[in-house]
Amino acid sequence: MKKNKSLLLSGPYILWMLVFTLIPLGVVAYYALTDPDTGAFTLSNLQNLGLYLPVLGSSVGYALVSALICLLLGYPVAYFIAHQKPVVQKLLYMLVMLPMCMSFLLRTLAWVGILETTGIVNNLLGKLGIGPLNMIGTPGAVVLGMVYNYLPYMILPLYAIIVKIDNRLIEAAEDLGCNSVQVFSKVILPLSMPGIFSGVTMVFVPAVSTFYISQKLGGTETMLIGDVIERQFKSAQNPNLGAALSLVLMLLVLVCTGIMNRFGSDEEGGVVV
Amino acid sequence: MEFDGEKILDGINLYFNDQEFLTLLGPSGCGKTTTLRIIGGFLSPTSGDVFFDGKRINDVPPYERQINTVFQRYALFPHLDVYDNIAFGLKVAKLPKDQIHERVQEMLNVVGLKGYERRSIDSLSGGQQQRVAIARALVNRPKVLLLDEPLAALDLRLRKDMQNELKRIQQVMGITFIYVTHDQEEALSMSDTVVVMDKGRIQQIGRPEDIYNEPKNAFVADFIGESNILDGVMLADYKVKFFGRTFKCLDAGFEPNEPVDVVIRPEDIDFVPPEEGHLTGTVTSVTFKGLNYDIIVDFKGFKWLIQTTDFQSEGSTVGIRLNPEDIHIMHKSEYSGMYGDYSSYSAEYDELTEDAGDEEE
Repeated sequence: MKKNKSLLLSGPYILWMLVFTLIPLGVVAYYALTDPDTGAFTLSNLQNLGLYLPVLGSSVGYALVSALICLLLGYPVAYFIAHQKPVVQKLLYMLVMLPMCMSFLLRTLAWVGILETTGIVNNLLGKLGIGPLNMIGTPGAVVLGMVYNYLPYMILPLYAIIVKIDNRLIEAAEDLGCNSVQVFSKVILPLSMPGIFSGVTMVFVPAVSTFYISQKLGGTETMLIGDVIERQFKSAQNPNLGAALSLVLMLLVLVCTGIMNRFGSDEEGGVVV
Repeated sequence: MEFDGEKILDGINLYFNDQEFLTLLGPSGCGKTTTLRIIGGFLSPTSGDVFFDGKRINDVPPYERQINTVFQRYALFPHLDVYDNIAFGLKVAKLPKDQIHERVQEMLNVVGLKGYERRSIDSLSGGQQQRVAIARALVNRPKVLLLDEPLAALDLRLRKDMQNELKRIQQVMGITFIYVTHDQEEALSMSDTVVVMDKGRIQQIGRPEDIYNEPKNAFVADFIGESNILDGVMLADYKVKFFGRTFKCLDAGFEPNEPVDVVIRPEDIDFVPPEEGHLTGTVTSVTFKGLNYDIIVDFKGFKWLIQTTDFQSEGSTVGIRLNPEDIHIMHKSEYSGMYGDYSSYSAEYDELTEDAGDEEE
């Protein structure tokens, strides 16, 4: 009886999942495994993937570097917020969330205006007699865009975990002879691990599949797997190859998050994608 | 000691003797935990000094003090198993591995948790977690062990067992224990010395027997056990007058005609036939408590609690006799008149005092 009730309540979402996630996934798989011209079953789309391995590799690289930078930037911020008074915590939490209220596309475009050769930074530098510096179209600009856009996804899960760490555990560690560095490495950091895994996953997954950031802020040499996929559907008119690439990317993301959840397996709060 | 301008501790002056079991006893918010945190180094006093072996340690951080703490609710590390929790302090101190192993095993023996090395903290019962917390502190061989209401979260039976256990461990290890509790029975049964605190001030320091038999003021008399506290006048040495009658007592050294508080313990009062009694009153309530009856008797509007094994029926008239050794005289204090009247007696008074204030700062 109770089971039926909860099924009824979750019904709308299950229907939604079915229509907009599972069926499209089936469509992607169908396209990936059929011939573009004849529609017959084939593995040839997947056989061509070797060509795109370098792009796939550099996408993973960009995403990992961004996740790492987000972690290094985000951890101190999350730690700082978690140790403020409750009112201040709420305020800072909202500030971290605030950029997410604005369009992702708009924010990325804004960086174009800041970084381009005739942009704000170069104008200022020009007045000082420096430049113009070539910032747009570089790998650095792509990483910057990723870090800027996905940093909140790192800070929020970290904050949620750090704020729950019992202050008495820290006192207990001090009591047992830890100086502040040891308190951090032996107690605070191990207890933050679930937050770190969540945060890294939440930055890595969107970063590895993005195409907008690399298109706007990157150049020809910073093409990512997301760009390649997008092109297959839009300009190259090869949805079958695009679907095959999507499928591989999805598997890659699943494997990566699987590994990360494995690391943090006995901790709470692993992210399910 | 002040917090946000509010005085928490006021003029605390305490000496701790080596290898002593000393208890800070008082109601919630009396400052006992604050005192403990100052000794542990988690708070520094706004004024005054803390000395350890004759050295001032106000500015010594907790991790450099030869003091370990068993925290309220244990504060065990959830990411480590039993062994690693106990070994934590030794690993920080970078002891050789075999020595760590030896000492952890020794402590597991002392607290009776052999075979639990690899169990996770979550899988332990409250009593077991408690033992891990004690082992984790004691394995460092501190000179002083601070215990902050370590038994508050345990049920009654387990608490009694652990009281004996703690006392045994303290004697085996020969370490000074400073124990914080709001449970007077716990304090009396375990301690060498009891420090009764209230409102940030020490009310009385002494051996458990002295605290019980010779309370210094109405607060101590009421907080430690049950007491009937009456207004009286000390006519001369060994002579006190209350309820319009003069009684012999064992107390001396008061001013002539000094107003005093008179304490009569409920268990010291004997019933006699009304015509033989020093005082006669009417029984207003009888509660069976297992070991004894709690009987409330109305003497001229002032209600006394009497604990006796003799049943008296409600509404009957009874007489009582008071022997000189049953009467204890105290100087008047700020607490006079606040305690010791059982007019608002309810059978739940035990539970009320026991449950009040598990958590405090």
